[in-house]
Amino acid sequence: MTKDTVFRQEFPVKGGDFSRAGEVSWEIKNLLKELGLSTPVVLRAAIASYEAELNIIMYAWEGRLVLSVTPGRVHVVVEDSGPGIEDIELAMTEGYSTATLEMRELGFGAGMGLANIKKNTDAFLITSEVGRGTRLELTFLTNGQRP
Amino acid sequence: MTDNTRHSVQINPEKCIGCVHCMIACPTKAIRIKNGKALIIDELCIDCGECLRFCPQDAVESMTTSFSDLKAFPYKVVIPATVLYGQFDNTTLPNEILFALRRVGFDYVYELSTICELNNTALEMYLATHPKPRPFISSTCPVVIRLIQRRFPSLCEHIVPIEPPRENAAKILRANLPRMTKVPASNIGIFHITPCPAKMVSINHPASMEKSYLDGAISIRDIFKTIYQTLRQSKEDTIMAHLFPETIFSGTGVGTALSGGETRGLKNHRTVAVSGVRDTIRVLNQVELGLLKDVDLLECTVCPDGCIGGPLTVENRYLAKSRILRLVSIMGERTVVDSSDMNLLYHKDFLSFHHPIAPLESPPLDADPAQAISKANRRNEIFQRLPRKDCGACGAPDCRTLADDIVRGLAALDDCPFAKKEET
Repeated sequence: MTKDTVFRQEFPVKGGDFSRAGEVSWEIKNLLKELGLSTPVVLRAAIASYEAELNIIMYAWEGRLVLSVTPGRVHVVVEDSGPGIEDIELAMTEGYSTATLEMRELGFGAGMGLANIKKNTDAFLITSEVGRGTRLELTFLTNGQRP
Repeated sequence: MTDNTRHSVQINPEKCIGCVHCMIACPTKAIRIKNGKALIIDELCIDCGECLRFCPQDAVESMTTSFSDLKAFPYKVVIPATVLYGQFDNTTLPNEILFALRRVGFDYVYELSTICELNNTALEMYLATHPKPRPFISSTCPVVIRLIQRRFPSLCEHIVPIEPPRENAAKILRANLPRMTKVPASNIGIFHITPCPAKMVSINHPASMEKSYLDGAISIRDIFKTIYQTLRQSKEDTIMAHLFPETIFSGTGVGTALSGGETRGLKNHRTVAVSGVRDTIRVLNQVELGLLKDVDLLECTVCPDGCIGGPLTVENRYLAKSRILRLVSIMGERTVVDSSDMNLLYHKDFLSFHHPIAPLESPPLDADPAQAISKANRRNEIFQRLPRKDCGACGAPDCRTLADDIVRGLAALDDCPFAKKEET
């Protein structure tokens, strides 16, 4: 594949910066629209990116979303340096949350994040190391067909 | 585009000096400066009127109905927005304003607050019988409709399919006036008095019906002086208005001039009211991300504090707001709409959209996916060479937009006086 058929852009996210929450996924959403992707795919990618962005803000020290788009698929890699996740299976459970009271008061931390990300992706990979950080790989097929 | 009814505002080239105020203020980046004059890009403009507010040269003109346009109709009907009641001093009652409009030369003056209340009741009935989707978005602000069509196409189905009060009022008049007055239908012209230019576009190019029931909209700015002078000349009208308060006003209805006016009355539903164009864009994005699913009705008005902050109003909006609130409290919370009338109209679908609102999506960078990707890459490369001063000297509102225009073939790198010519 030539350099021209991949679009790649990196978006840094700072932990704790709630005032900018949603800016990265807003940019991703607009970029995918400009690239001509269908609305359902754009929305799934935007929702998953938003949840991932918020996870970094809520739990990690810092992180980034790396978007790469080819004509066939959208790939979002989410990496953070943060506390990591001890029990991934538990964290994936809808309603399970380690959010603090303060976060909940801001309307975040309902415990749907990871489950919602997975639900909106066509392929989802998660790896985490306690004390180091978490890495997510989200894939969306641009033809809109769910495997 | 030669169709000059497409938009609610136009640039007067005689007055425009090509400064950057409107271009920077535009929330959808729909303005460029070409050959020293501001130019509005049709596909991007949502008719919010921000350019009109910010132009220091008074070069942005609203395309509202002029007094000479009224002459085409022998029988003239006017439906003033309830915003109008807040534009005069505290001692001027709504009734006096309606009297004044009759003196000005309108044959029939229709008071809108009752229909506003009717609309609120219809909203409540609709919400109660339609569990999905959530949240519903109210249809009153035409700019919100255009914003959703263009920027948030997936939200078209969230718009409550009930026409706004001004259209329903005109529809009721069209159905009844010829019979009541014996004036032939074709001789009757029905006009709204509006605080914003966007109503004109919703009349010329309605999104939810084939043809609007209104013939035009007159700007408050244009008609204010005429009403004001009439009010001062006719003391007996004041006495009449005080002694014979013939019109029944709805407090709830008058309150719809303010942000939150549509949601306040909905006691059994969870509602959110947002005003201002930037906050509206922000909240619509949140709805698209599925974040407001626990809200039943979202009311968005792109003018600050609601219609009372419209760009064609004349009074300071804080004073106007305080007057409207005072009127609401004087008129009280009592219901003036007859619930059986309401039920009949609602169930006959009299108040509903003719057809759903369709998305109007903006074109991608390229129809071919691979080409679009390479254009996005090129756009990023170009952006790296731009100074990020967002000065507007190139004729685009910011460096990012210039880079976008260049890859779309609408501008050149040379347009920027600061661009680095070489790859770095």
